[in-house]
Amino acid sequence: MNNDLFKKLVDLYAGHELPSELEQEVESAAAVDSTMLVEMTTMRNTVDTLQGDPGPEFTEESYQRILMKLYARGAAIQPKAPSPAHLQYHLPIQG
Amino acid sequence: MAEKRWLTALSEGDPNALGAIYELYGERIFRYTFRMLGNRTDAEDATAETFLRVVRRSAELRADGAFRTWLFRIARNLCIDKLRQHKLMELPPDAQYSGAEERTTLRVTVHQALADLPLEYREPLIYCDLEEMSAKEAADILKISVPALKSRLYRGRRALRDKLGSAMERTP
Repeated sequence: MNNDLFKKLVDLYAGHELPSELEQEVESAAAVDSTMLVEMTTMRNTVDTLQGDPGPEFTEESYQRILMKLYARGAAIQPKAPSPAHLQYHLPIQG
Repeated sequence: MAEKRWLTALSEGDPNALGAIYELYGERIFRYTFRMLGNRTDAEDATAETFLRVVRRSAELRADGAFRTWLFRIARNLCIDKLRQHKLMELPPDAQYSGAEERTTLRVTVHQALADLPLEYREPLIYCDLEEMSAKEAADILKISVPALKSRLYRGRRALRDKLGSAMERTP
């Protein structure tokens, strides 16, 4: 297999872009080619790690601070008061 | 449908429209700007500025599906300006993740490796792998062709893998 075709197949495999039949063929070929196997595994793990990243949390504080910045700079938007703590949880009534 | 209604309302000067559009897109723009800039404070500033520019340029708005691309382009331009300032000021990125220790360590490593990539490679990874946009949408934001986007995406993934080294040899 020439180098460009090999790289192209690995790129498509890593991004889950190969049709399932071709993916199986590539995996079979990699089973007897350790270089190819390492390349395919590491590239796919890289993509899967990125795609599984939940990202930074958009906290209530950030949400409110952005609203305040918009409001302070004259945008027609109203900052909302955060919900009071006693309204955030519903405790079961005992007795 | 909600987007189209609120964009029309914004272009007509409806005072409730900006709040509604912020509700629809605030979190995505914040996450994107955080990933581009690496710290919460700058991401909050850039997010607020993005929505201010939406209001200022509401006459250009078209509720035809291209709004998201336009919105991300505004955010991108702001991030690039801020990154230039960062280069001058050398601001440290925040630690941004929480969770189990090993997973957190890997994420911080990935985040740092991503931050070290040239912008040319980092942006396609952010759009396609982290923000789950289509290649077409990412290419439109960057004003490049889809093949050019894919070429940068694949080279970016390889560059990231090479930076991460042995961490990528195990099963995630």
